[in-house]
Amino acid sequence: MSLTSAPPALAAVTAPRPGCIGDRVLRNEDGRFLAGHGEYLADLDVPGTREIAFLRSPVAHARIRAIAIPEGAEGRVFLLKDLGDIHPVRAVLTSPGFRGSDYPALAADTVRFVGEPIAICLGATRAEAEDLAQEIVVDFDELPPVVEIEQALDPASPSLHGWPDNICFVSTPGGGDLDAAAKAAAVTVSREFRMARQCVVSLEGRGVMAWWDRRLQELVVYSSTQQPHVIRTVLAKLIGVPEHQLRVVAPDVGGGFGVKNNLQQEEVAIAALARRLKFPIRWTEDRREHLIASPQAREHRVRLTAHADAQGRILGLEAEAVVNAGAYSIWPWSAAMEANMVAGILTGPYAIEAYRGRGVTVVSNKAPLGPYRGVGRPSACFTLERLVDEIARAVGREPHAVRIDNMVRPEQMPYRTVTGKLFDSGDYAESVRQAAAMIDVPAVRARQTRENGKGPRFIGLGFASYTEQTAHGTDEWIARGLTEVFGYETATVRFTPDGKLIIEAAIQNHGQGLETTLAQVAAEELGVDPADVVVRHGDTAVSPYGMGTFASRSMVMAGGAVGRASRQLAEKVKRIAAHLLQVKPDEVTLAGNCAVAGARSVPLKSVTDAAFLHPENLPAGEEPCLDETTTFQPLSGTGAFAYATHAVVVAVDTGTGLVEILEYAVAHDCGTMVNPMIVEGQVQGGVAQGIGNALLEESPYDSGGQPLASTFADYLVPGAPEVPTVRIAHLETPSPFTAYGIKGMGEGGAIAAPAAILNAVNDALRPLGVELNETPITPKRILTALHDARTERAR
Amino acid sequence: MKVSFTLNGEAITADVEPRTSLADLVRGEHRCTSVHLGCEHGVCGACTVLIDGKIARSCITLAVALDGTAVTTLEGFEGDALMDRLREAFRAHHGLQCGYCTPGMLITAHDLIRRKGALSEAALRQGLAGNICRCTGYAGIVAAVAAAMDEHGDTARAAAIAAE
Repeated sequence: MSLTSAPPALAAVTAPRPGCIGDRVLRNEDGRFLAGHGEYLADLDVPGTREIAFLRSPVAHARIRAIAIPEGAEGRVFLLKDLGDIHPVRAVLTSPGFRGSDYPALAADTVRFVGEPIAICLGATRAEAEDLAQEIVVDFDELPPVVEIEQALDPASPSLHGWPDNICFVSTPGGGDLDAAAKAAAVTVSREFRMARQCVVSLEGRGVMAWWDRRLQELVVYSSTQQPHVIRTVLAKLIGVPEHQLRVVAPDVGGGFGVKNNLQQEEVAIAALARRLKFPIRWTEDRREHLIASPQAREHRVRLTAHADAQGRILGLEAEAVVNAGAYSIWPWSAAMEANMVAGILTGPYAIEAYRGRGVTVVSNKAPLGPYRGVGRPSACFTLERLVDEIARAVGREPHAVRIDNMVRPEQMPYRTVTGKLFDSGDYAESVRQAAAMIDVPAVRARQTRENGKGPRFIGLGFASYTEQTAHGTDEWIARGLTEVFGYETATVRFTPDGKLIIEAAIQNHGQGLETTLAQVAAEELGVDPADVVVRHGDTAVSPYGMGTFASRSMVMAGGAVGRASRQLAEKVKRIAAHLLQVKPDEVTLAGNCAVAGARSVPLKSVTDAAFLHPENLPAGEEPCLDETTTFQPLSGTGAFAYATHAVVVAVDTGTGLVEILEYAVAHDCGTMVNPMIVEGQVQGGVAQGIGNALLEESPYDSGGQPLASTFADYLVPGAPEVPTVRIAHLETPSPFTAYGIKGMGEGGAIAAPAAILNAVNDALRPLGVELNETPITPKRILTALHDARTERAR
Repeated sequence: MKVSFTLNGEAITADVEPRTSLADLVRGEHRCTSVHLGCEHGVCGACTVLIDGKIARSCITLAVALDGTAVTTLEGFEGDALMDRLREAFRAHHGLQCGYCTPGMLITAHDLIRRKGALSEAALRQGLAGNICRCTGYAGIVAAVAAAMDEHGDTARAAAIAAE
C-alpha cells in the first residue's frame, strides 16, 4: 500500500445530523439558477467588449499556401503571427516511447482537422465577426486525409506529424501467466467491439473572454473551464505572462463533463491576443463549433479474449485497445489518455490474475480527443461486460451469477489488481445481488418466455458491473506519465466578524452541487447552518492553488480539504469559546451556530467578534482572526474505488429497430455519501448520458474527413421520453483512504449503461441469431443486423 | 428596422437588423440573460420564451417579426404563483444541476401545466421532449413538474369549490 500523507483523522460518519454529512440538504445554488440569474460566460457585461468568430478550417488535411485578408480589416483579423511570441501546446507523457507533436494556437502552415482555428475575427457582434470571417480567403493545398482507425494503423497512410507512422503511443500493462491461463481454460471467448466517436455536448458551449486590467497590471481570462488554476499555470508558460499577473475565472459553467477539463486552443489564442489589445474580447462557442471542433470522445476498437473455467471464472484476459485520438494531443491529458486507461482497467471489478493488455493510440485528421465522463471506462466496461455475458452463455449460466463468482471478495480488500490499482473497500458481489433483486430476474425470464417470439417486440435483460477509480492521487498521475501531478486539493475556510462562514475552494462547481456539499462538510465540523455558508470557487483570485473538478475528485479532495481546515478551525473556535464560557476547550462542542458546554453556550457570533474585533477577549497567546488553509491527499495514490452493478430490461422492436428501456436499476457504493439527493442526481444524469452512448450518439466522418453531425438534428442526445427514472440502491462502504470514507462517483452512471443496454439488447435478439458489439445501436444497425441474420439463416 | 413590442410588460421599440434574433435582442441591450442559447437552431429549448402567451424558440424567431406582440422571458414571471410553485418543486426534487436548461424548462413546464392541467407521466415526458437537459437525466425535472402539476390541480379545484 502506498501512503502519500498521514492518515486522515476524519472518520466515516455513521449517524447523519441535520445539515451535515449524509443529509439530503437542498442546494444553496438553486436560487440563482431558478431565477434565471446564473451568470455564464456569454452573460458577462463588460463595456467595450468585441465578439470573436474563429475562421476554422473547412478541410481535414491541407497545407496553407496563403491567407488573403480583406482590405480595411486591419485590427480586426488576427493570425498566429499576430499573437506575439507564444509557444505551441505540446501535450506529452513522460512515458518512454510517447511521440510528441505541436498544436499551435492558430494553424499557420498546416490544418489537420475540420474546425481547426486559423484566424480570430472581431466584430461589435458575433454576426459581424462571422461576416468578416467569411470574407477571408484561404488557399489550401489539400493533402490526403487519414480518417478511420484502420487507415491510421496502415503504415502506408500519410504521416500527420512527421513520425514514421501515425501511432502515438503503445502501452502494455499486464501481469500473471496468461499462457498457463489459456492452457487451463475450459472455454476461450473472443470478440471485437467498437465504441463510436462522440461529442461531449455540455448544453453551454465553451467560451473565453479576456482583457488586460491596467490598474492591477494583470491579464484577466474568463473561461468556461473546470480547472481555472491549472489553466492559469499553462497559459502563463505558453503566452509569457507570469502567473502572478494572470487571473483565470470560471463563472457559472453550463455543464462540463470533461470537455472543459483541458486547455483549449481558443484559450491560448484569446489570452495571447487580449494581452496586445486595449479592449475586452469574447468568444462564445456555438453548437456547430462544439459538435465539430470541441475535443471529442471515445472512438475505440477493442479486441478481447477471455480464458475461463467451466464455471465461467476468468483465468486470463488478453486485450488490444486501439483509440483514434484525432489530430492533436490535448494538454494535460495527452492523446494517449483513452487507450492507456482502457488497457489499464480492463480487468474490471474481477479478480483476474493473468492479463496481457495493449493500448494503442493513433492519430488522424479528426477533432482531437479529450476527456468525457468516464474516460476510457465506458468502453472498457462495455467490452469486458459484453464478453462476460458471452462467457456465461458459453458455460450455460446466468450472466449475473458468473459476475458474482468472478468478483474481488470483501475479505480480499484492499486488493491490488494485476495492473497495479489498489481497490480499497466494498462488497462488489452484493451490488450484483441487489441489482438482480431490484430487477427481479426470474420475473423477467418468465416474461421473456411468455412474450418473446409472439410479436415484433423482444424483451431482454442486461447487467453490467464496474469499478470507478476516483480521486486519483499522486501515484496514479505519475504512473500515467503526466507532466503535472494532480494529487491534492486545497481549501480555505474563514469566518467573517459577524459569525458567517466562507469556503474558498480551488475546484469549480458546474452542476455537482459543491456549493452545498462543501458547506455540509463545514457544518459537520463547525456546527454552522450550511444554508448560510458561502462557497467561492472557480477563480484563481479567491482561493489557494488547486486542481479543479474532474476525475470524480472534488467531493473526496476538496471535501477532505474543507474537512481538515474546518477541523483545525474548530479547535481554535473551541479554545476561544472555552475562554468566554470559562470551561475547558475539550468540554466545548459546536452545533446550531453555537459553542456549547453542558448547559452553557455562546453564539459563534460572539466567538468571531472576539477573534476579529476584540482581541482583548481572546485567551492569552491566541492569535486574532479565524481562518485556515489546508490541503488534502487521499492515503492511497490510486484513489478510492466506487463500484456498481446496473441492470436493465429493454424491449426491442424488430420491425422498427427501436429500443425502449422498460426498467433500469442501479446498486452502487460510493462510500460515505455527503448528500444522497445529489448522489442520486449524478447517477441518474450519468445513466442518461450512457443511454445516449448506447443508443443515439455518434459523430461520423466521411472519407474526406468531414464531420457529418453538426447540428442536434444529426447528433441526437437523449430527451425526457428516452430516459427512464432509475431505481437506485445505496451500499455505503466507507473508503479507508479518504476523509469521512467518501468515494467519488460523478462518472459511474455513464460507465455501465452502454454495457448493460447492449447486453440487454443482445439478450433480447439472441433467439434471432443477432449479436451487436458496436455502439450506438441505432435502429439502422439493429435492422441491418436482423436482416443479415435472416440472410444467414436462409443460406 | 424598427420594431415595437412589449417585453415582460414593458413597451419597447428597437432598431434591429433583419437577421437579429429575438434571443440576441433581449439578451443584449435588455439584459434578459435567463434566455440561454444552447443550439441556435431551435432544438434544445434553452431559449424558450412566451410570445403572446405561446411558447416559442427565441433563437430562431426574428426580432422584426415581433411587432405588436407581447414577449415574456423568465424575468417576466415575477409574482406568478405557478412559476413560484415550479421553482420550489425544481429545488425540492433536484430538478437542476448546472442550471443552463432551467429557464427554458420552467417556461415549458409552466405552459404544459397551464394548458393541460393533468398529464400522465408519459405525456408529461413527451411535453418536455423539446427541452434538452444534459445533466439531470430528467428524473428530478419530471418529478418536479408532476408535483407542481398536482398542487396546481388541487389549487384550481379548491378555487372552483370556493367559487361555487
